[in-house]
Amino acid sequence: MACIELIKKLSNAFGPSGCEREIAQMIKKEISDIAPDAYIDRMGNLIALMRFGDISASNRARIMISAHMDEVGFMINEVKEGGLLGFDTIGGISESVLAGRRVLIHGKNGFVDGIIASKAIHHKDKNERKKAVAVDKLYIDIGAVDADEARAYVEVGDFASFSSEFYEFGDGYIKGKALDDRIGCASLIEVMRSLYANAPSESIDVFCCFTVREEISLSGAKTAAFALRPDVAIVLESTAVADIAGVDASRRVADTAKGVAVSVMDRSTIYDKELIRLALDVAEAEGVKAQLKRYVSGGNDAGSIHKVCDGVRTLALSVPTRYLHSASCVAHIDDVCSQARLCELIVRNICEV
Amino acid sequence: MQLKDLIFELCAVPSVSGFEKRGTQRLLEILGDKLEFVAVDGVGNHIFRKCCGRQNAPKIMLDAHFDEIGMIVTDITEAGFLRVAPLGGIDAAIMQAADVIIYGKEPIRGVVCSTPPHLREDDELPEITALMIDTGLSKERASEIISIGSPVGFAPVYAELLGQRLVGKSFDDKACAACALFALINAPTSSLAGDVYVLLSCTEETSRLGGVTAGAFSLSPDYAMVIDVNLARVPDTKSFETVVLGKGPSISVSAATDVPLTRATQRLCEKKGIAHQMIAAPSSTGTNATSVNLTREGIPVVDIGLPLAYMHTYNELIDLNDCNTLCALISEFICSGEIAEQMRCLEG
Amino acid sequence: MELYSTIKQLCLCPSVSGRENKIRQLLSSLVEPFCDELSVDKLGNLIALKKGTGGGKRIMLAAHMDEIGFMVTFIEDNGMLRVAPVGGISFVGAAYSRVISESGVKGTIVPNAKTKPEDYKSDCFYIDIGASSKKQADAMVGIGDFFVVEPHLQKLKGGRVCGRPLDDRVGCAVLLGIAENLSECVLKDDIYYVFTVQEEVGCRGALPSAFAIAPDMALCFDVTATGDVPDASPMACRLGGGAAVKIKDASVICDELITSRLSEIAESKKIKYQREVLLRGGTDTSSMQLSGSGASVGALSIPTRYIHSPNEMCELSDAQACIDLATEFILSI
Repeated sequence: MACIELIKKLSNAFGPSGCEREIAQMIKKEISDIAPDAYIDRMGNLIALMRFGDISASNRARIMISAHMDEVGFMINEVKEGGLLGFDTIGGISESVLAGRRVLIHGKNGFVDGIIASKAIHHKDKNERKKAVAVDKLYIDIGAVDADEARAYVEVGDFASFSSEFYEFGDGYIKGKALDDRIGCASLIEVMRSLYANAPSESIDVFCCFTVREEISLSGAKTAAFALRPDVAIVLESTAVADIAGVDASRRVADTAKGVAVSVMDRSTIYDKELIRLALDVAEAEGVKAQLKRYVSGGNDAGSIHKVCDGVRTLALSVPTRYLHSASCVAHIDDVCSQARLCELIVRNICEV
Repeated sequence: MQLKDLIFELCAVPSVSGFEKRGTQRLLEILGDKLEFVAVDGVGNHIFRKCCGRQNAPKIMLDAHFDEIGMIVTDITEAGFLRVAPLGGIDAAIMQAADVIIYGKEPIRGVVCSTPPHLREDDELPEITALMIDTGLSKERASEIISIGSPVGFAPVYAELLGQRLVGKSFDDKACAACALFALINAPTSSLAGDVYVLLSCTEETSRLGGVTAGAFSLSPDYAMVIDVNLARVPDTKSFETVVLGKGPSISVSAATDVPLTRATQRLCEKKGIAHQMIAAPSSTGTNATSVNLTREGIPVVDIGLPLAYMHTYNELIDLNDCNTLCALISEFICSGEIAEQMRCLEG
Repeated sequence: MELYSTIKQLCLCPSVSGRENKIRQLLSSLVEPFCDELSVDKLGNLIALKKGTGGGKRIMLAAHMDEIGFMVTFIEDNGMLRVAPVGGISFVGAAYSRVISESGVKGTIVPNAKTKPEDYKSDCFYIDIGASSKKQADAMVGIGDFFVVEPHLQKLKGGRVCGRPLDDRVGCAVLLGIAENLSECVLKDDIYYVFTVQEEVGCRGALPSAFAIAPDMALCFDVTATGDVPDASPMACRLGGGAAVKIKDASVICDELITSRLSEIAESKKIKYQREVLLRGGTDTSSMQLSGSGASVGALSIPTRYIHSPNEMCELSDAQACIDLATEFILSI
């Protein structure tokens, strides 16, 4: 499937919150044939407008589709004596998935490899062995022999991300460091291609937004929505699920391989009832696999979009993703296809709401 | 006017968080003949400016919050003592027997009640809401001057210590406000890179977003600098979370501000030989910078800090050398054609 | 309109945050006679405009029409419904209450048998609708359906009322009372009566409505806590003490120009009032203050005991004082 190659390329690219330019350029190039006028706004969001139907019509529907380009990551906060680097997380990363990981630092003269490390198990006492190591007790080792050598490559404020191999495994599953939300970016590109190939006849403006800084404060989407003033927004996300051994069925949130997840409520948004209904109806009519999110958790760009200006009716379509915010996010490729397909169909039927 | 005098004068203006409009008149007396007063808005932001006189010049905003931590009267007891609640993060450890001023119909003196040691049941400090303030007045007399909702501030006492170090209350953030105003007052009109606005913003200490959001929204600048105090290194603090007194203002790199503008400001300092300290604030600066950045379509912002020890006490400590350096940094920033050009290129 | 019957009518119309269609319909019909234009925005805020003669200010008066409740997140094999709270539910208070869904399905909300009250949180509660299997439950409800604790209201001897959700249907009733009072008055100012959505989940609805209206001045009408019950946190606010002029709550400090004016008018017109400093809990006031370029804001609160419990209590005379004071305030501008 072509989509997997695209996800792989996007997931492997470097883009922690606040440092998304590489992703934006990559996507801009990817869509240059179908959206040559795509532009990067002053916050760093990549925005492509696709216009359909009668351009001169006065009451054109304005739809924003957003997928965030950023991933969780790290920032260097100290060059220590001895050349080790202190760091802190950008976005919500559990301390339990940090120790031992490979990272990539965007240094002043280019990328630098490193590992997140702490003392070995031999040096840990009984209590220390039971707990994850706190972030301020961990450090990044880039192999520098002293602080001066480290400073030649890295300065305080440099960004870093997980560095981990992308692969396909099992029965249709994919694994990568930044599936959250490069999956959504890939889906959005798919949606654009489908709409481009088979243009809707209704008079609609579709603003395709690849947003920045979702992981720290749902922020790029907020300013983009302010500028674009959409009537309706569809957020393409990946949502943390726990359809794994040992978790009670009522707390799994959603199941991988069972279709795209439609949110009713999360910590930042109560979603528009009619849009939810439209999504479920269209999914059923067209045979797209979809499920309702079955737990209230997390939040996404919808949280800032729906309150912008005089309000935006908002829907979220998420790919169920295991081990979110770690170096090894896992999702099912069929769910990505369902996400893209359902989003496209909603755009085609949007005039019903 | 000397910078030090301006700092002390601003710090003495009563502006407990949420009650900034009480300071309007005094602010105008201090600044009215030095800068153009633009407005005080509905929320309580005060705005001053100096224009460069050129058409289509960029609009540059310098933000420093003008509110200070304090308390608010929640009740007047039968015996005439005042019950209070905190406005902003007040440390209970400094409250026993502290000097305060209650801003009623007129300002009056008060002392925070302190239980003598032999009557204390345990070592635990009472919460702010459990404190009482002694005004020396009966309930009837107190009620003539004070009402529920009257703001309470620390009594202003300032001193100069060794080596240009100053102590006093509400240097957070009025020392920074003074530096921004001082830099703009002394910048020749012709040297400005654009029209420069100083936003003395309100309710930073008490509101989640800060009154700055409303101010930044109505001003809609092309780019901005947020100037607030930053925690100075003292015993028992972490090096990567703190800055060093006397080593110049801090520049925060954060995913929640504009990284290109931040690095451009850093390079400007390096080029001009202005002492500065870099600090990482990965997901949030904890200042107005994040709010400003997310206003409207997004406003590029750089977050600058003045090293300050003993934050949120009535004896905050700063180094006047840092203040002078901060003024120099601000002057270069508002006069930098290079940064103005870079910000223009980022558009679109 | 008679105040008590209006409050009761509003209380008995369940509408949880984000799903306010029923109460919006009811309020539309009630406010319509008192305004010139009615509109509903994209999030569902109901905006009623009484046009001024021109040259005046834009004044926004707001009360939220949503209430706290539950959302169904999962249906167990045995037909029990797992739920998440919508807004600040007190599970200790709600345990074993009767609940009702948007479509009228009734049930009771129950904690897991072995969970102790001090450990109550949403994950250990379920709604029993009397279904004997998942199949039977599926036929009546679905994931994403909303429930509320069953509404009810009664008059106590002495003029107080008890029931739910007084938060904030009593504020809506106050707003209707003001609208009725002002309906025959000729004013310069444009008055916007706004019934907001989604206050209980973080004052969300007031933001866009205030953005669209861009008021010069805004007043909020909501309930506030009191200090007049056993073991209450100290608070100089009580039932029967009159309209509570809000000085501060956890989310906002009101403009002194408004709070002092309200106090002065109350003194001169002999309307019973008290000054309110609320330490926990926010209101739409903050959203209106910081939306767009910001506004000068104030609030009048109706002192209410046991807020967010199945039995809230307030005094009609306090609500009436809010109506009277707000009316005089608007007329004095």
